Amino acid sequence: MTVIDRPPATEAAAAQSKEKRLVWDLPVRLFHWSLVVSFIGAYVTNRLGVAWFDWHVRFGYAVLTLVVFRVLWGVFGTKHARFASFLRHPREAAAYGWRLLRGEAPLYAGHNPLGALMVVALLLGLLAQATMGLFSNDEIFNVGPFAGAVSKETSLLLTSLHKRGFYVLAAAVFIHVAAVIAYVIVKRENLVRAMVTGHKRAEGVHPRDEIMTSRLALAATLLLVVAIALVALTSIAPVASAGGDAF
Amino acid sequence: MSLYSKRARALVFGGALAASCVVMASAYAQAPGPTPAKIAVENRRAEFTLIGNFFRWFGAVARGNAPYDEAEAKKRAERIAYLSGLLDESFPDVSNVGEPDSKAKAEIWKEKAEFDKKLAKFKEDAHVFAEAISKEKGATEAFKTAVANLGQDCKGCHDSYKAK
Repeated sequence: MTVIDRPPATEAAAAQSKEKRLVWDLPVRLFHWSLVVSFIGAYVTNRLGVAWFDWHVRFGYAVLTLVVFRVLWGVFGTKHARFASFLRHPREAAAYGWRLLRGEAPLYAGHNPLGALMVVALLLGLLAQATMGLFSNDEIFNVGPFAGAVSKETSLLLTSLHKRGFYVLAAAVFIHVAAVIAYVIVKRENLVRAMVTGHKRAEGVHPRDEIMTSRLALAATLLLVVAIALVALTSIAPVASAGGDAF
Repeated sequence: MSLYSKRARALVFGGALAASCVVMASAYAQAPGPTPAKIAVENRRAEFTLIGNFFRWFGAVARGNAPYDEAEAKKRAERIAYLSGLLDESFPDVSNVGEPDSKAKAEIWKEKAEFDKKLAKFKEDAHVFAEAISKEKGATEAFKTAVANLGQDCKGCHDSYKAK
């Protein structure tokens, strides 16, 4: 990917600044905002009480499906969705960080090196959190589908980590949101709009780096595969679905 | 003195005899039993385990995963109501700090009045639950609501007072 060091300050460039280039495909954007809804939904439905627990489980399954999909999409998706395009050596992330502080940071068509770190952290964190939920036991009447696959002690340990893990994730999300807001206000890069419309200002995106299609058919296929795999996995679980064990 | 002289042998034998008397005496001495704190922790864990095991069936029935049974419902609800009355004795001040098996948070004793109120509410709700359940003859809406309400008592208290 071509990294643009400094946006050209000419007249032509100013005129060009209205022009936008597509960098985030629709699957990435739908994934991102669905994840926001699912994460918040999972937390809220847990706080609302036992009557809402079924929804907590549904949101949890949604998170699992979305994250696994995103990992596959990171291998098979469009240019800027691919991990290969934005995962950098930590040295590069540090160098970018310094340039950011000096106000001379370059523009990236996809994720910048620091953002890339957050992507990995959040994907891993959410994957861990949702997976631990599968083994959890609230000791009232809700039990995850795989709680029966481990000892009661292990299940309770994973439940404890799942409960405490939320606070770690919440901290990461807070940093993520704060950083994005800082980019919008201070750096004048509207990352939020970019993640909604998929377009970034042309001055930050080399024409070669614009994507031409969202590869929707491939995305839909991958999503279906992931969903079916999850259903199959939970159906062979030792304990019947999160309806709790009866006796 | 040679190791094999009569005096040496007498001393060794006498010493061994004295030592074994001390050992046997200490074996017969009362070994200290579990402290009141440990007993309280054991009791409350047992009480909550039983309450959970009896209550869980109602959740399964409410979800349609187990068939409703009138005798079973009555028996379990009565047991939960009885057990709920034992809880207020299981949180003495002495069991506050340092018990490794306890999942009770220190907040319980910092806010003892508030916690006691919650325990009392649970006891009351458990009795109300037993009454409500005896009126329903199946997994009706009222049955499901009663189950959800009592379950919410469990969760509400756990969220504040049980270590995560």
